[in-house]
Amino acid sequence: MTVLAAPGDTWGISGPVFLGLYLLAAVVVVGGAIVHRSRVVAGRSVGTIDVLGPQQVAYLNGGNQLAVWASLGGLRGSGAVGVRPDRRLTTGSALPAGVTPLDQAIHHAARRNLYARELTRDEWVARALTELREGLERQGLALSPAQRRTARNGSLAVLGLLVLGAVRMGAGLSQGKPIAFLLVAFLALAVTAILLNRVPWRTRAADAALRELRRRHTHLAPASAPAYATYGAAGAAMGVALFGTVSLWSLDPGFAEQAEIQRQALSSGGGAGSSSGSSCGGGSSCSGGSSCGGGGGCGGGCGG
Amino acid sequence: MTGAGPPTEASSVPRAVASSGDLAARQAALVAALVAGAPTPPGFATAPVDAARAALLRKRAGDVARHWPLLAAGLGDAWWETFRDWAAHRPTNGSLRDGWDLARALRVGGALPPLGAEELAAREAATRYDGLDTPRPRRLPAVARAGGAVAVQLAGRVRLLRPARR
Amino acid sequence: MQRRQLLRGWWRLRRRVRRVTGPSGVGIGWRPEIAGFVAELPGLRFVEVVAESVHGELPPGLAELRARGVTVVPHGVRLSLGGAEPVDPARVAHLARVAELVGAPLVSEHIAFVRAGGLEAGHLLPLPRSREAVAAVAANVRRAQAELPVPLALEPIAALFDWPDDELDEADFLTEILDATGATLLLDVANVHANARNRGGDPLALLDRLPLDRVAYVHVAGGAERGGFYHDTHTDPVPPEVLDLVGALCARHRPPALLLERDGRYPPAAELRAELDALAATSGYPVVT
Repeated sequence: MTVLAAPGDTWGISGPVFLGLYLLAAVVVVGGAIVHRSRVVAGRSVGTIDVLGPQQVAYLNGGNQLAVWASLGGLRGSGAVGVRPDRRLTTGSALPAGVTPLDQAIHHAARRNLYARELTRDEWVARALTELREGLERQGLALSPAQRRTARNGSLAVLGLLVLGAVRMGAGLSQGKPIAFLLVAFLALAVTAILLNRVPWRTRAADAALRELRRRHTHLAPASAPAYATYGAAGAAMGVALFGTVSLWSLDPGFAEQAEIQRQALSSGGGAGSSSGSSCGGGSSCSGGSSCGGGGGCGGGCGG
Repeated sequence: MTGAGPPTEASSVPRAVASSGDLAARQAALVAALVAGAPTPPGFATAPVDAARAALLRKRAGDVARHWPLLAAGLGDAWWETFRDWAAHRPTNGSLRDGWDLARALRVGGALPPLGAEELAAREAATRYDGLDTPRPRRLPAVARAGGAVAVQLAGRVRLLRPARR
Repeated sequence: MQRRQLLRGWWRLRRRVRRVTGPSGVGIGWRPEIAGFVAELPGLRFVEVVAESVHGELPPGLAELRARGVTVVPHGVRLSLGGAEPVDPARVAHLARVAELVGAPLVSEHIAFVRAGGLEAGHLLPLPRSREAVAAVAANVRRAQAELPVPLALEPIAALFDWPDDELDEADFLTEILDATGATLLLDVANVHANARNRGGDPLALLDRLPLDRVAYVHVAGGAERGGFYHDTHTDPVPPEVLDLVGALCARHRPPALLLERDGRYPPAAELRAELDALAATSGYPVVT
């Protein structure tokens, strides 16, 4: 029978035994941390996603900035904001009925002629965004700062193990013992700790809700070249919320350029020309989906 | 074109076979007059054919604008006249290629608006187009420039690194 | 075992029954741009899709309508059935594939040509109303019919000009083509209006002479006056004259279905709904909005 401790062992525990115990502890602590984190991040599944407005969806999809762009998309869709030649925002028509506090804050900012890029820093807008976020936290869709701290608790336990491992390695090194296996375990644990420390800001319930909303609103995807006039301001806002500022650029390129709306990466092809390219047969003009021998266009006459 | 009439089915109608080459040639002459700047074939009333020619060009402009929304938006009120002047005597190669050729022509002439330059750079980063054949998606990463705009494409995703000069 | 066979036979029958449900009531041309609007029409039983816009599989919005039992009719725009050259078999094959894909009861195309001499017109162009043209169209239609899994309906187009040497009038020209091919008629009321307005003739007299019992369904679209001509744009509202003509048609022989075509400059949803409601009111079919 092998002895557990020999006179030369660090802390009186042999290397292999310590490594075994250390790995066992690591499995237990990491497993516990994952379960803990997963419970906190799960959130509550929403009863019906229909209650989610475009700005809430935008916040879940892209945080404060996207919520602001979604609101701006809706306001632009209804003509309530515009942009001046000096690139500052301005107001257009009166605010339509049923607007959110964020809409009001942005409309107010437009009246004060802020730049679009300054909106998230505006005091009123920031307050509306906080309100928006807190509502989502109450619905179990966004994680509050407290929840995110709680979710990180698991990684603190792992950190404790890391400290133990580091001390042991230091002690081992000073006695000229081999520490290679422990070092490998330590590094693996360190990576795990970093991963566990990364906590999303929306819950898994929100992930599921976003997936479902994207599926339901494929008609608002930029590839469909959505008719925003038909879908109205709410459609424009939801398009931005789910598919990003590329929707704002296709809704009103002139406004987006003048107001310096942030751009996002385009998938290849980009823009509205989804039916372009090789799928249409060489040399022939693509029918973009109109019923008159090659696209509709600007009142050029159809005859079909 | 003579004798290139439809086989089998039409053989029961001898007259059609005899003159189908005629119909083909007359149709070709009409299309050439409408889209390629050829003279209106004799016998047609001039004003209605002119109206049809203009309507066709307008419709084509709308199609190209849908494929190149930023180019059209960048030209704004000048879009229609710019397109008309460029396209009036050029038969279409499809909306995608028409817009592409126009954007390149404008770039050469220094008349490409910033939005159009950005759209062109993004397209050229994503797609290979030699000006003659159907554009093909690029498989390898690429960088493209137009009017100061720089676009990069990696694995099919295009990002505008630098906007065009304004 | 026997039960399973019976069941399978029943399903096959069901599918066939579903297939032959022709277009009925008021419909709208399905376009990706307004797919979200079309999906929300509760009473909708019938849409049309531009065949050339379907590549590969069905767009998701259209697949959902199919799952709801909505009849989808593929509408070809680039076959060039009126071309002097034989119709391109690849284009016919594509139309046939789309028809299979949507389980269509029929497909439709135009009495027109869209290319000649290697040039694309990008538009539907009129044929001379001659026996030669009738023969050319009939030959191409028969070639297409031989490859299509479902019947073909033919749509007369709107044109701004006439050929110099017409031998037949519009009614005789169309009737001869239908007689020669056995195809049904897709009557575009806006085209009837546009042709009468631009090329002369009485639209009501034309309705009286067309074989209205062979109308598979009807197109209605908007247009605008410009430069002394009425342009059938599909991007403007349906004018009252066209709606009146729909009423006159229904008074003579109500077609089984009427379809609103809109191809661009899409208006707010309320305006589209109002146009669909006006079609329902004029034809007496149930409201779909």
